[in-house]
Amino acid sequence: MRGIEGKVVVLGSRGVGKSRLVIKYIKNALHRSEEPTIAVSFFTCNIILENVKIKLQIWDTAGQERFRAVAPMYYRNANAAILVFDMTQYKTFTEIKSWIQELHRNVQDPMILTLVGNKMDMQSQRAVSRDEAYLFASSIGATYFETSTETDQGLEQVFLSTAMGLVRLADEGKSHSLRSFESSDSLAYTNSNTAFSYTAAALARNPDSAAFRLPYVHIGIPVDGQDVKATGEGRLETPSWAIEHIALGEVEKPRWCCY
Amino acid sequence: MANRAPMLRIGQQDLKCRQGCGYYGNTQFDGLCSKCFRERNDKQRKKQRASEYHEAANSAGGSIERRSPQHSLSLDRVKKKQQQQQQHESDSSPVATASTMPRKKFTVPAVLQKTLKNTFPAAVAQQQQHQPRIPSATESQFMLQLRQLRLPDDAKRKLKSEIQRLDHEIRKYMNNHSSKNVDELSDLVQNAYTRFADIVHNDARFEIATNEDRESAIDFFEKVVMTQNHNLLFSPYFTTDEESDIKVQKRIRQLSWITSKHLDCSIDEVNAEARDLVYNAISELVGIDSYYSPQEKLLCTVRCCRHIFELLKSSKGGPASADDFLPALIFVVLKANPVRLHSNLNFVNRFTIASRVMSGEGGYYFTNLCSAIAFIENLNNESLSIGADEFESLMSGAQAFSTPWESALLACESLHLISENMKCMEQLQKRNTAISNGIKDFERELLEFQREVTEKVDTVMAKAPLTLLPIKTPPHLIAQARAHLAQDGVEAAVGHYSSNLLSGAHNQHSLIAAKGKEKEKPVEEAQLEASHTLSLKDTSVSSVGRLSPLHHQLAQTDQLFASPLFNNYTPFDAVSLLEESSEHADVLMLGHEFQGGLTNINYDFDLSDQSGDNSVADDPKLNLDEFDPLAQRGIPKAPVVAETSVLDTTLDSLIDSDVPATGVLLPSPLKPEVANYRGFSNFDIPSISCNTGDFSSLNQDVNDPGQPTNNK
Repeated sequence: MRGIEGKVVVLGSRGVGKSRLVIKYIKNALHRSEEPTIAVSFFTCNIILENVKIKLQIWDTAGQERFRAVAPMYYRNANAAILVFDMTQYKTFTEIKSWIQELHRNVQDPMILTLVGNKMDMQSQRAVSRDEAYLFASSIGATYFETSTETDQGLEQVFLSTAMGLVRLADEGKSHSLRSFESSDSLAYTNSNTAFSYTAAALARNPDSAAFRLPYVHIGIPVDGQDVKATGEGRLETPSWAIEHIALGEVEKPRWCCY
Repeated sequence: MANRAPMLRIGQQDLKCRQGCGYYGNTQFDGLCSKCFRERNDKQRKKQRASEYHEAANSAGGSIERRSPQHSLSLDRVKKKQQQQQQHESDSSPVATASTMPRKKFTVPAVLQKTLKNTFPAAVAQQQQHQPRIPSATESQFMLQLRQLRLPDDAKRKLKSEIQRLDHEIRKYMNNHSSKNVDELSDLVQNAYTRFADIVHNDARFEIATNEDRESAIDFFEKVVMTQNHNLLFSPYFTTDEESDIKVQKRIRQLSWITSKHLDCSIDEVNAEARDLVYNAISELVGIDSYYSPQEKLLCTVRCCRHIFELLKSSKGGPASADDFLPALIFVVLKANPVRLHSNLNFVNRFTIASRVMSGEGGYYFTNLCSAIAFIENLNNESLSIGADEFESLMSGAQAFSTPWESALLACESLHLISENMKCMEQLQKRNTAISNGIKDFERELLEFQREVTEKVDTVMAKAPLTLLPIKTPPHLIAQARAHLAQDGVEAAVGHYSSNLLSGAHNQHSLIAAKGKEKEKPVEEAQLEASHTLSLKDTSVSSVGRLSPLHHQLAQTDQLFASPLFNNYTPFDAVSLLEESSEHADVLMLGHEFQGGLTNINYDFDLSDQSGDNSVADDPKLNLDEFDPLAQRGIPKAPVVAETSVLDTTLDSLIDSDVPATGVLLPSPLKPEVANYRGFSNFDIPSISCNTGDFSSLNQDVNDPGQPTNNK
């Protein structure tokens, strides 16, 4: 069986329900009544689509404006981004646009984008029209979903579509940060502490099931960036804030070396 | 160091080669352009070859030092290669990009480096611990862990050789490269990791191992290499990690006024429970520095973050999201202000297996920590949503501040102090009660003791009641004695105190006797008088009477004792005497004996004065005995003795004359004191007469003396 391991970041303004989206999804997937107790901003879940096992590492991010500066650290090396906005607040939708711009600026690797309009249950207060969101999603090559964390609508589709996008990305072989490997059963090359693992085998085995017949399932077009060749050797970017990145003035003359 | 400033402030001139050739200089090339640098190095090398002596001096130029010639040869080759490479780089891109921007080396002089290292005892300790070729505790621990790995033996051997190889590579790099670059080093290590991962997953020797075992082998590989080379790789001297550490620490100290409200996070700083959880997180965060290997540091980070989630869960009452988590983490970092923050982060970033920080829980939290620090470093008034002026004044310390955290800490401290004091007081109280209990016990024991003693004394007293019995002298004995005295007509010869004293009484008695014992009473009185006068010697008639049979034997023992009375009244003597003559002694009489002993203590003194008299006192008995048989032979022993004792003294005068005759005893030197004694005995008389309660006799006694004479 093939295995794919991808990193998925969840972006969006504060209060749009990013965390709620993930928590609800994991909860439903695990068929648990109670919500996860501790670590709730990092999840791993395994989705099996046909003969591909996809391991999603979902990184929740802080949506506050003040943390925008550190966001690149989170979406660095990410393979997919789930952009969440609150359809009852137009402001959150415009902020998504700025997120997208930022992603375009900072991410070179192709990335699967999924746009999610949350709080579908509050149709009466809707501020972002479906068409507008859909058009925007198309323009950025994203898939658009509308969800509700209250009624659990469309949650699974978001993640399934992301997983499918990752499979396609792996097939194209353009993204090097996306780990692709042959796996018999367990996932090799991973050291993560799998907090939650979810096998959507039941769903995946029957792609024609109701879960897949949804109005808005469109496979987004991955963003084709500059396609910078990654070395694949695990080189790390040094953090952008490291002091080494600043050229310094006079250097003290070395006198000796004791090492 | 101080005049190092961001690039933007550096003038063009400063960037040019110091030789003035017009090309851009490079910090890595000591401010020279690559060409000038190479030329200079060539010159230096020549010099070095010319004379080994000036090696050190040349190395001051920044190339090499303390290396054997062989080393420098191999080094030259490496250096050349590197220089070519660097020249190529700088040729291709005159303006260095951020990633290729060469690290300035030796930014801190070695001496300062050392002192800085000294400020971090942990680093020093590590260096000491990792002295090469000494199998340290960690090394032996690794050996044990290696044995525990579930891998085939040849795989283990491979693992070991790989470890040694990387170890060697790192050391070689650290020793041989003149211009060290931490990125190169990082690449070297990362490549080794990739290579080892390939080996583990594809090598035949690891074929039978499960994936988990392979993982653990990779983990072990990383852990061992990193721990062994921690001192080399952690905050290497050619990086600016330490400066960054100090910088960020200063920054955090400046930001001590930040509250959780500023960060808009839901930590209740005043809540004790929340504070405990914050403390947990802080201790884990600070603990990152104490681990050697990157994965342990990561695990520590994860634990820290889990504590924060617990904290958020308790303060929010539900699962927290990243929106809440990051501010909380920032808050914790600010309050913890961990040491060597940058060094640790960079160490993990550079030298752990790349996938660890890229993915997985550890990677996620590590990223969060990095973001938190980035946020702290780039913090401004907008990010705290306060005014610029306020921010400035708070940062500069112009505006006083008091955060709930600080106050809580202070309060906590005082509370802590209070609780400490309470504990102390409790202890004191315990001791106090122990002492008071002890006192009570002691008192009780004391009372008990007193009671016991009194009881014992009472029982003894009950067993042996003190009864002063009036001296009874059978009247017929008195009469006999009187008769005897009268018969002998030695009254005049008595001349002694007692005889003088008694003379009146005796005269009276004799008179009474002469009257033919008309009445019992006068006799009785006379007897009492006699007993009073004699009481000094015979207090207990019965005892004397009892012991009197021994007088015959005592005649010989007299010498040994101060007085015959002493013999009689000391229980010990009495017992011993009784033992000697058990046929005469009555064991039941012991109690009376005892009593006699007790009651007679007072008299011992008096009698001792008269030892001379008393010592002779027995002799008259002999005399008496001599006489007695004439008078009465058939009289039972005890009464006879009682009488004799009475008569003993009365006969003293008689005996005195006989003393020389016995030849055993010398005339008592105390005799002259007899007069004294008499006076004393005169005083005594009333006291004893009191016991009898009969004053009439006293009066009689006092008044009488004249009478007998008159009568005579």
